[in-house]
Amino acid sequence: MKVDSGKKGLVINLLSLIGLVVLWHLLVILARENIFNIPFIRLRDVPTPVETWYALIGSLFTKTYGPALTVGILEHTQASLLRVIEGGIIAFIIGVPLGIGIGYSKPIGNVLNPIIEIVRNMPPMAWIPLAVFILVAGGSIFIVFIGTVFPIILNTIHGVKSTDLRLIDAAKTLGASGSQMITKVIIPSAFPSIIAGLRIGLGVGWMAIVAAEMVIRSPIGLGYFIWNMGELGRYPEMVAGMIVIGVIGYIMNISILLLQKRFVKWVD
Amino acid sequence: MGRLILKDISKKFNDFLALENVNFEVEDGEFVCLLGPSGCGKTTILRLAAGLDSPTDGEIFLDGKKIAGTNKECGFVFQEYALFPWRTAKGNIEFGPQVKGCSKEECERISRHYIDLVGLRGFEDHFPHELSGGMKQRVGIARAYANKPKLLLMDEPFGALDAQTRNIMQAELLRIWEKEHISVLFVTHSVDEAVYLADRVVVMSARPGTVKEIFGINLPRPRIRTSPEANALRDAILRSLGSEIKRAASI
Repeated sequence: MKVDSGKKGLVINLLSLIGLVVLWHLLVILARENIFNIPFIRLRDVPTPVETWYALIGSLFTKTYGPALTVGILEHTQASLLRVIEGGIIAFIIGVPLGIGIGYSKPIGNVLNPIIEIVRNMPPMAWIPLAVFILVAGGSIFIVFIGTVFPIILNTIHGVKSTDLRLIDAAKTLGASGSQMITKVIIPSAFPSIIAGLRIGLGVGWMAIVAAEMVIRSPIGLGYFIWNMGELGRYPEMVAGMIVIGVIGYIMNISILLLQKRFVKWVD
Repeated sequence: MGRLILKDISKKFNDFLALENVNFEVEDGEFVCLLGPSGCGKTTILRLAAGLDSPTDGEIFLDGKKIAGTNKECGFVFQEYALFPWRTAKGNIEFGPQVKGCSKEECERISRHYIDLVGLRGFEDHFPHELSGGMKQRVGIARAYANKPKLLLMDEPFGALDAQTRNIMQAELLRIWEKEHISVLFVTHSVDEAVYLADRVVVMSARPGTVKEIFGINLPRPRIRTSPEANALRDAILRSLGSEIKRAASI
């Protein structure tokens, strides 16, 4: 989602969100009053926006009730984010050099392309059983890695391959060696693409981590939280968790866009 | 320093014969314009001289050294500027010195000299997309000069500029050239430009490209673009070129 930067745009953006909340509230209330219901959906069980809001506020922090400990949403969020960041960093460290190699050298591309083409078509969720049954540790980080690394590789390849040939000629006549060509021309030229890959990759990684946490049943993480709340019938908390997932994903996306704007000043 | 010799140069791209038996020289410190109908291989000659391509037949020498592989002793100025968009004007100019391993102070000193020479003072920290076409090409010229080349190869460097800017840049180029005195091989399709700039004009024939006629321009600089002598030369060159353009169109 791209938020319009104009003042008028901002107002419409806000109205659109408010409209969604109002529609949500109306649908739930109408269902509860038996006035209108969508078949096959138990709309009456859906919490209203207000109930969800109180559930969110009430479960933000970790609390203890006697011997029982309830982990707060903030702590779940932190755990999930940490996994995405760890998996993302590993994916970046491995994906960028691979992408540069494949994009720059035909032989490397010929060797690695078929592998990448098959493996990247296995969705991160398809790797969850392997992470559960075979990996000893770091299963959810591994799932994030799988989701993040391919967008990074593919965008890096694209960036490397779309380097302007005239810039390569110019660098040659200015005396650049082969390795200088990579560090001083290819990588800077591909940089915006690489960052775009990171952005898309982290988006996929964020979706993957939520799914992984549900299945892997690590006792902490937003995926675990919403699944657990659902099982306990605490739907307001469940929906609050879903909204937090959406908002965090959005913030991640925007942060990288802002970082890119800050560091890549040379793109019009 | 800076004597370029093209000896019996031919260039084939697959089955297409682009250049055939091209012979000419650029003397030390000389300004030579290469003129010809489009598609006659002018740019190919520059690429061969830069070592970005190799000839199918024949040899090219710069100061007696045969060119094989990229010729790092020549500066190339491109029509579309080919500036590194992620580097500022100053960063572009320092590219050559940097890859040669000059110290930071040395790079600074070189870039400051050429920024002043081409009139970019105040624009050092601008990125290429923030500069006008004329300014971009000033950066392109400074970048080529900063590498201390023996020969400057210019591929229609002012082709993308409007007429007024073009005239200014031509005068600027001559001013810089007279200061630095490096040989120049300048490709253009403008007879006006060639007569204004060059010591000699090499007129090429079309497909396969070869040297048709060489005109010496012995007019004192700064030249008056509309002087009778300039007009007469323009006329002679246009006639020589005109038959080639007709021939090129009929091929």
